[in-house]
Amino acid sequence: MTGATGFIGGRLCEVMALSHAFEPRPFVHTTGSAWRIARFPLDFALGDLGDGRAVDRAMDGCDAVVHLARGNDAVMRRGLENVLRAAVAHRVSRFVHISSVAVYGSQPPAASVSEAAPAKRSDLAYGNAKLEQEHRVLRYGRRHGLNVVILRPPNVYGPFGAFSVELINAIRSRGVAIVDGGRNPCNLVYVDNLVEAIFLALRRPEAPGQVFFVTDREPVSWKRSITDHAALLGADVPYVAAAELAPSARERLWRDSVRALPGVIADAEFRRALTRIPLARRAMSLLAAWLPSLPGPTEQAVRGWLRGRASVRRNGSSEHAFHADHPFIAAQRRSVAHSSDKARRLLGYTAPVSYDEGLSLTEAWLREARILDANAVVRRG
Amino acid sequence: MPRSINTRAEIPLLTTISDTHRNPTASDGGAPTARRSGAVRIGVIGCGAITEGAHLPAVLTSPEVELAAISDVNASRLEYLRRRFGLGPIVLGDYRDVARRVDAVILALPNGLHAPVGVELLSQGVHVLCEKPLAVTRQECEQLCQAARSTSSILAVGFVTRFFPSTELTKQLVESRFLGELQSFDAEFGTVGGWSPLSGYNLARSTCGGGVLVVSGSHVLDRVIYLFEDVDVVSHVEDSRGGVEANSKTRFAATVDGRPLQGRVELSKTYRLSNRFRIVGERGTLEVREGQTRSVTYLPSGSALRHELTAAALPSTAAEPDYFQLQLHDFVRAIRTGAAPRVDGEQATRSVALTERCYAIARPLEEPWCEGTLARLARAGAPPASGAAAGSPPVHVGAT
Repeated sequence: MTGATGFIGGRLCEVMALSHAFEPRPFVHTTGSAWRIARFPLDFALGDLGDGRAVDRAMDGCDAVVHLARGNDAVMRRGLENVLRAAVAHRVSRFVHISSVAVYGSQPPAASVSEAAPAKRSDLAYGNAKLEQEHRVLRYGRRHGLNVVILRPPNVYGPFGAFSVELINAIRSRGVAIVDGGRNPCNLVYVDNLVEAIFLALRRPEAPGQVFFVTDREPVSWKRSITDHAALLGADVPYVAAAELAPSARERLWRDSVRALPGVIADAEFRRALTRIPLARRAMSLLAAWLPSLPGPTEQAVRGWLRGRASVRRNGSSEHAFHADHPFIAAQRRSVAHSSDKARRLLGYTAPVSYDEGLSLTEAWLREARILDANAVVRRG
Repeated sequence: MPRSINTRAEIPLLTTISDTHRNPTASDGGAPTARRSGAVRIGVIGCGAITEGAHLPAVLTSPEVELAAISDVNASRLEYLRRRFGLGPIVLGDYRDVARRVDAVILALPNGLHAPVGVELLSQGVHVLCEKPLAVTRQECEQLCQAARSTSSILAVGFVTRFFPSTELTKQLVESRFLGELQSFDAEFGTVGGWSPLSGYNLARSTCGGGVLVVSGSHVLDRVIYLFEDVDVVSHVEDSRGGVEANSKTRFAATVDGRPLQGRVELSKTYRLSNRFRIVGERGTLEVREGQTRSVTYLPSGSALRHELTAAALPSTAAEPDYFQLQLHDFVRAIRTGAAPRVDGEQATRSVALTERCYAIARPLEEPWCEGTLARLARAGAPPASGAAAGSPPVHVGAT
């Protein structure tokens, strides 16, 4: 199992170890990240996915592979290639690759209700990397007779997962609002339901060569998901219209980046770090000498352009703009509900954990992990 | 808003640790005599992250010692360190070759190897500065202490936090009854992951001796014993499932001035906690946060003020010293004078004994998210169980 120290891998190891259904061999890169799975006496293999020999050694004696690792370009490309190659060499009987609905980009087409909808390169770098991985996995399946299965989960949530933690933090920092009534689907899957799908992908003879969406049984709207998370905090989330949102910063990439620079440079910590680079030290002293040497009006004009328009918030003012490109706001503008009908039909996928139960288990963990106040009063709508 | 005030309380001067030992005396344990203008010849056994990050820099910049050998079973790791620190022909694959070349060693092997290797070295009269914890069991600790006594060798244990002025200051404040009658103590240390031993010895009970209670907790237990001396475990809850625990919650009972003192220690390797040690007394609370090496924070009862207490002798602007080097010099002082090091084997045995006691009475931590759904997941996709045989034989999933 690659990516075994992550959120999904951690839970997968846990369920495998506790149920004795499988004997996981987690491939671990950073031992300090493996605490959750080290609670079990597992057969750990240490190494780097970029090291073909380490991957090959770890594959020895394995019947199947679950590939969950994600990371930089080297992990996504060479890492996957090494795992596929070793899987073929060791004749594993099943290769389950965990992909993502991100292969459809930030605005998935309406047809992507079903996984039959073709995915194309999009504006989403992560989605493109996952799409390229899917192609590689399927190619290996065709050329080498490897029994590959691809699972595409949407937002995976549950204990130890980032989804609820980040949503709670966004609500706390008032970065998120419910857009246009929050009626669009949130596309969630509770981590245990994904574990069920992985078990099915490992065991069912109908799985090889197929791509499956894996989602929760009942579709949940963004309104419900956000208000339920806000209730855990005892907070309210404002409703806004899409038309009110501050425009995406994408088109202002250069200007905003340049404007952000003086603030970053003025940051003492950043400068301290930067002065460790001799070249940067030289450049900074030249810049510091150059700006005051300009004629007064020119210097003022440069400073004015660099700093942009001042935003002054009145005392106690609640004036607050929500940004269209905030991840939890951008996500609300996707109207497609991906369906796991195919997994249900072909694999017998049941998604046994309901949204309410999943959220309640997640809440118990959030309190244990002190992300939520352990003693706070909870109201849920 | 509470303000930060440096009250410079009347605390006796801290003991100077790094004495310069101008008149070295030969150790009486039959160990080889020190060379190079009296420098103690040191070997480092075990070349993991702590050796690279702390022990080698401390040794190589010390005028008191000479690095005479380093050893590890991993040849590529040795080569890496040889290049990184520009070391000469002192790199050895077998730790047994180290003993012939040195007066003393820093033992930084995985915890499970401390006792077998340490006993062997001490029995040959080699002084040992052993990384914490001293060993995995109390019995092993006692073997190490016995081996040291039998050859009059020094056995020091690397509880480096004992060299923080804040630890000594806390001890003085507790002993001087600064807080009046003590009411409770509590410690919380938790991070999401962190500290990644290269060999992965932290992933198994057999090599590490335990989980977060050993890795993060040994310092805390050592401090609790150092401060309150008479300490016992009341309850211990943790989340190990046959491996090493990532979370633990322990309750202690101590006796101070004949009065009972309750304590609580919570440790995590999966959650971020408040990362501080606290002592509550009738006059207020003392607090030492993670990384607070030189002062102790005092929060008086019924006051919104916050005082940063430091020892009067501590120059507040001086750079942070290398605590690993202070520890090393304390070890050298012990070798030269025959006096006990700041943390000796007997002291370090007490925290291992306390750890052992925790594990002996451990109860499982409640994790409703862990088991609640298992029955619905385990048999997904498995062929129907026939007769009494429950489930198919396990499939080995994995690799990479």
